[in-house]
Amino acid sequence: MGAPEKEDVKKDKMDEDKPVSDTVKDAKKDAPQKDKDAKKKKDEKEEDLSEEDAALKENLELMVERVQDKEAGVQKLALEQLRTEIKDSTSSMTSVPKPLKFLRPHYDTLKACYEALKPSENKTMLADILSVLAMTMSPEGSRESLHYRLKGSLENVGSWGHEYIRTLAGEIGEEYQVRTAEEKKSEDLMALVRQIIPFHVQHNAEPEAVDLLMEVESLDLLMEHVGENNFRRTCLYLLSFASYVPEPDDSLVLRTAFKIFKKVKNYDDALRTALRLNSSELVAEAFSACEDPLEKKQLAYILARQGFALDLESDISLAGDDERDALQEIISNSKLSEGYLTLARDLDVMEAKTPDDIYKAHLIDSRTPSNANVDSARQNLAATFVNGLVNAGFGTDKLMTGTGEEASSSAAAGGGNWLFKNKEHGKTSAAASVGLIHLWDVDGGLPQIDKYLYSTDNFVLAGGSLAIGIVSSGVRHESDPAFALLSESVNKDDPAVRIGAIMGLGLAYAGVQKEEVLELLTPVVLDSSVGVDVAAFAALSLGLVYVGTCNDDVAMAILQALMERGETELADPLVRYFLLALGLLFLGQGEAVDATVEVVKTLHEKVSMHAQIILDSCAYAGTGNVLKVQRLLSICGDHLEEDKTPGGVAHQGAAVLGIALVAMAEELGQDMAIRSLEHLLQYGEPGIRRAVPLALGILSISNPRMTVMDTLSRLSHDADQEVAMGAIVAMGLIGGGTNNARIAGMLRNLSSYYYKEPNLLFTVRIAQGLVHLGKGLLTLNPFHADRGLLHQVGLAGLLAFLHSCMDFKNIILAKYHYALYFVVPALQPRMLLTVDENLKPLPVSVRVGQAVDVVGQAGRPKTITGFQTHTTPVLLATGDRAELATEKYIPLTSILEGFVILKPNPDYVEDHLDK
Amino acid sequence: MGQNQSGLPGQTPPTGQKEEKKEKKKFEPQAPPSRVGRKQKRQKGPEAASRLPTVTPATKCKLRLLKLERVKDYLLMEEEFVANQERLKPQEDKNQEDRTKVDDLRGSPMSVGNLEEIIDENHAIVSSSVGPEYYVNVLSFVDKDQLEPGCSILLHNKVLSVVGLLQDEVDPMVSVMKVEKAPLESYADVGGLEQQIQEIKEAVELPLTHPELYEDIGIKPPKGVILYGEPGTGKTLLAKAVANSTSATFLRVVGSELIQKYLGDGPKLVRELFRVADELSPSIVFIDEIDAVGTKRYDAQSSGEREIQRTMLELLNQLDGFDARADVKVILATNRIESLDPALLRPGRIDRKIEFPLPDIKTKRRIFNIHTGRMTLADDVNLEEFVMSKDELSGADIKAVCTEAGLLALRERRMRVNQADFKKAKEKVMYKKKEGVPEGLYM
Repeated sequence: MGAPEKEDVKKDKMDEDKPVSDTVKDAKKDAPQKDKDAKKKKDEKEEDLSEEDAALKENLELMVERVQDKEAGVQKLALEQLRTEIKDSTSSMTSVPKPLKFLRPHYDTLKACYEALKPSENKTMLADILSVLAMTMSPEGSRESLHYRLKGSLENVGSWGHEYIRTLAGEIGEEYQVRTAEEKKSEDLMALVRQIIPFHVQHNAEPEAVDLLMEVESLDLLMEHVGENNFRRTCLYLLSFASYVPEPDDSLVLRTAFKIFKKVKNYDDALRTALRLNSSELVAEAFSACEDPLEKKQLAYILARQGFALDLESDISLAGDDERDALQEIISNSKLSEGYLTLARDLDVMEAKTPDDIYKAHLIDSRTPSNANVDSARQNLAATFVNGLVNAGFGTDKLMTGTGEEASSSAAAGGGNWLFKNKEHGKTSAAASVGLIHLWDVDGGLPQIDKYLYSTDNFVLAGGSLAIGIVSSGVRHESDPAFALLSESVNKDDPAVRIGAIMGLGLAYAGVQKEEVLELLTPVVLDSSVGVDVAAFAALSLGLVYVGTCNDDVAMAILQALMERGETELADPLVRYFLLALGLLFLGQGEAVDATVEVVKTLHEKVSMHAQIILDSCAYAGTGNVLKVQRLLSICGDHLEEDKTPGGVAHQGAAVLGIALVAMAEELGQDMAIRSLEHLLQYGEPGIRRAVPLALGILSISNPRMTVMDTLSRLSHDADQEVAMGAIVAMGLIGGGTNNARIAGMLRNLSSYYYKEPNLLFTVRIAQGLVHLGKGLLTLNPFHADRGLLHQVGLAGLLAFLHSCMDFKNIILAKYHYALYFVVPALQPRMLLTVDENLKPLPVSVRVGQAVDVVGQAGRPKTITGFQTHTTPVLLATGDRAELATEKYIPLTSILEGFVILKPNPDYVEDHLDK
Repeated sequence: MGQNQSGLPGQTPPTGQKEEKKEKKKFEPQAPPSRVGRKQKRQKGPEAASRLPTVTPATKCKLRLLKLERVKDYLLMEEEFVANQERLKPQEDKNQEDRTKVDDLRGSPMSVGNLEEIIDENHAIVSSSVGPEYYVNVLSFVDKDQLEPGCSILLHNKVLSVVGLLQDEVDPMVSVMKVEKAPLESYADVGGLEQQIQEIKEAVELPLTHPELYEDIGIKPPKGVILYGEPGTGKTLLAKAVANSTSATFLRVVGSELIQKYLGDGPKLVRELFRVADELSPSIVFIDEIDAVGTKRYDAQSSGEREIQRTMLELLNQLDGFDARADVKVILATNRIESLDPALLRPGRIDRKIEFPLPDIKTKRRIFNIHTGRMTLADDVNLEEFVMSKDELSGADIKAVCTEAGLLALRERRMRVNQADFKKAKEKVMYKKKEGVPEGLYM
């Protein structure tokens, strides 16, 4: 095949056959003819020009000659004619414009002529022409086009055509970099840029305008050119741009997008951008700038989803207390439970499910002996978790709260009986599952939990405390019952009760930064007389409460606790919670972590490395920072021997999770990280292999991709039990809340495959519970708003869950199985619920389909593909996007997720066909 | 779990499956093989994992650059990691060991058989060349995604289990269609036809080399073109020039090749052709003399005619059927466009019809120049005379005139071709063309 060899031969070429793509420079690089007699052919060709071409050529030559004329008038005439010739030439996409082609041999002549001319009008005009010619003629990198453009007239650049502008823009970028390096001024360049930007914006080339402004580092110029019509395209480009530019440019890009959104009064997008920037000033700015009360409510919904606590008291734009209360109610998420139940009723899934409904044992070939030799306490514990996860948020179930109509178990009764089928600390989890069942519903849940709080059994008491924390996770109640009920138990004697209360506080106030909690828990963290477990849970709770805040007090407390603990205590598996708590404090905060990393280096060698990696990976979570990934990968590449290294190999597992954590923000990084993890599986030591499934799980969370599923299914039969356990849990994570039939089937098979292994069977059950999370109405994905925003608290919860799973044997399978409840903050309904102006549910038809990346595409491309039309409320899977199928209403937000307020479209005309 | 001990209906399909499979018994019949039939392309398995994610937008912009750089960064890291690992802990020995193990399992010699049916993930029915069919195991190291009914497989010499498969990817009939050596004719050898060249470039070459241009505007590039016009006007020549200039796979077929002896072979060949084109994409399929299969449908009498029509129907489906093919462009050529089936030419299948007219005076002059460029001409030769004559000369005619003139000169052992040769040659060519009516008789 005649593959065109790219040679850098410039001048002798067959320009007619070369596609001129977007820069004429391509033509310059294109190979001439492969034959050696290319030159000869060219001579031949020039002879057989068609008549018009010949005439044109002659004409041009004549004009070139005239340009060299002494007389200014003749010169001017010739120049003008040349200019019209060039401008008029309508080039086809596939060849170089003829005038440019014919003028090529005269480029040097004209250049010489230009040098000889005295400064005059003619000289500038000639400079213009030379600038255009330079586009095809000048050697690469000389930037002659720009050079002459700056010498020529600086007006009407656009009239020379799009191609020319692109070349010019490219050269401006190069020139700017050179000048910045030499610290020269670039005023003249900016003048040119100011001309080019409107041209691009007018011609639907917003991405190019953004590119140019990025090159010359003055994105602000964009503001004045962006209006109602084109802001969406521009901002879409800016927003997807932000994921890929290095710091600190990304925040600059986002700030520009924020300003544009604000300028065009698109407050919902402005708010989202502000949230992405994680800047409370901008959030407040966007919120108070919005005047429409209804729109404000929509903003409040967005804030509620992100779990962002905005202080409304200081907001003067609010009309009255009523409005403030209404907004506060939305922001505190207290309607979440109601909306969720509406969704459940609409989808007709209110009927409580038992674990047996999930296990679907009848589908498994039942010749496997019944679980005679299986530890039944563990089975009951698994059933407790499954029951809690499946019925999460529904307020009813058949084991804990049910009235006992279900005769699945021998004792035909609900409530208390099931609780006491669990042993010791199992009862803690059982009692806590009541909290999960009443998730988000503080008013309805507390009376149910109340009875456990008066129990004399410490385990039950602990479970009750935990349940209170779980119930109020993610919602804020005005009377704040959680703190009142839990603060007392924190300082009781029994460690179980203390842990329950501490963990409950952590879950209830995750991300709230409640100072009372800090005051209450700091002494517990610092107290070296209490067990490591209590202190560890206290530290982690503090980490959750102050997630992503870089709070110094908490950091100092944890560091001090780590320094004071002795070597034997540092070997405790729960020590990882201290480290993770530190990491959570800096979650997503980037460089702010550096000082703490330095401090951590001085810690005992057992934990130092581990802590560094957790801190680093948490701080850069979701940034896609390639350098961090590189460092983490190289750590994973070390082959350490467990007993010979002082710090153990735990840090390598953390590094694997770290890779996933850093890369999880955008799809490209996810895909590539999954590839890298394959290599880790191939080459890694056991410690690394164990973490790989979990990393896969978080990379593809609630997103059951076939490739990941296949890998995990393979790993779930691994010879190393811990790898298998990790893979099974990861299968639960990738299927989290999807009801995915394929994963469910795989897990069913696994449950019969591992029927003799109580530990593995337990993990299979947990995974089954996760897959059917909230009967398929929930998601674990911490990213929302079109994968644009990271729900930090959710990610923090997931991390706590994953780090607990890293040492499955010593944490989950030992007595700390309630650490599984750390997943609770990550639970969010994956719904789209449309409400009317009075915030009552309003069914409308929407189209739901796979989201398509439309960045930089022309026109109004379809944003979803393979859609189906449903009536709200509907479920949205990961990667799905919804749009209204009716013109009757206008949504108050551009991204249809969660609660969306609709207002009637004033321009809507009832179509008589549209009944 | 475990309340029903046994006796559930249909728990094991009565396939004579051995009981040695462990706990993996199910109530449901074994999950059917994930896929039967056509080979699945780059979808599952390790190949899918190694595939790079697609990068949007296709437009050239900084975002695309950044995204591609991100992918590159990750690839570099992978490379670094793998290189380090290989240094620290070479895998070669292990691989070698694995390979010998697999070879042991395979045993040798192996016999070649035919895969008749895939029963489930691990079992298949095979037939060996001597006749009987066997129900056998498929060993785990055989790539099941590559297995399809009808493919040739390697069987263990004793137990006949499937131990490998012979990958003859491409039908030999199709592989000969691939143009391995680019023809020598280039665009420069085409006299005139500038309009046509531009059209074919826009429709065929540009979508393959610069798809982003079309995305920029927001249109789908055309799928194919048809070249039509009188005989000898340069349709095939232009196709050759396209093949010469492109780096895409170029498959060329003549319409009559698609007509096969056995029923169903023609459509199969068409399918195979487009499948290969898709696999080797970006590619250009050139079907010359399409009127051999593409004539209008009518009530056919003989089964042969019906078969030809079916071949065309398959072609219709491949051109714009259910499966979208992105990077396959089609060039058809015919000199009887009016006899073609309208369905073949509808937009969406063949979007562009490019007419090749008889050359006008200017073009004729260029064609003469091209052909006489390498001839030694006497001084008295005046080509203008022929260029300006009113006769309808096609490109091929002009070439014939030049060759004929050369032959005449050769006959008289002259080293130069003179004007008289040309005159005679032209008369001769025109005489033949007008089937015996001497030139100028009725004019």
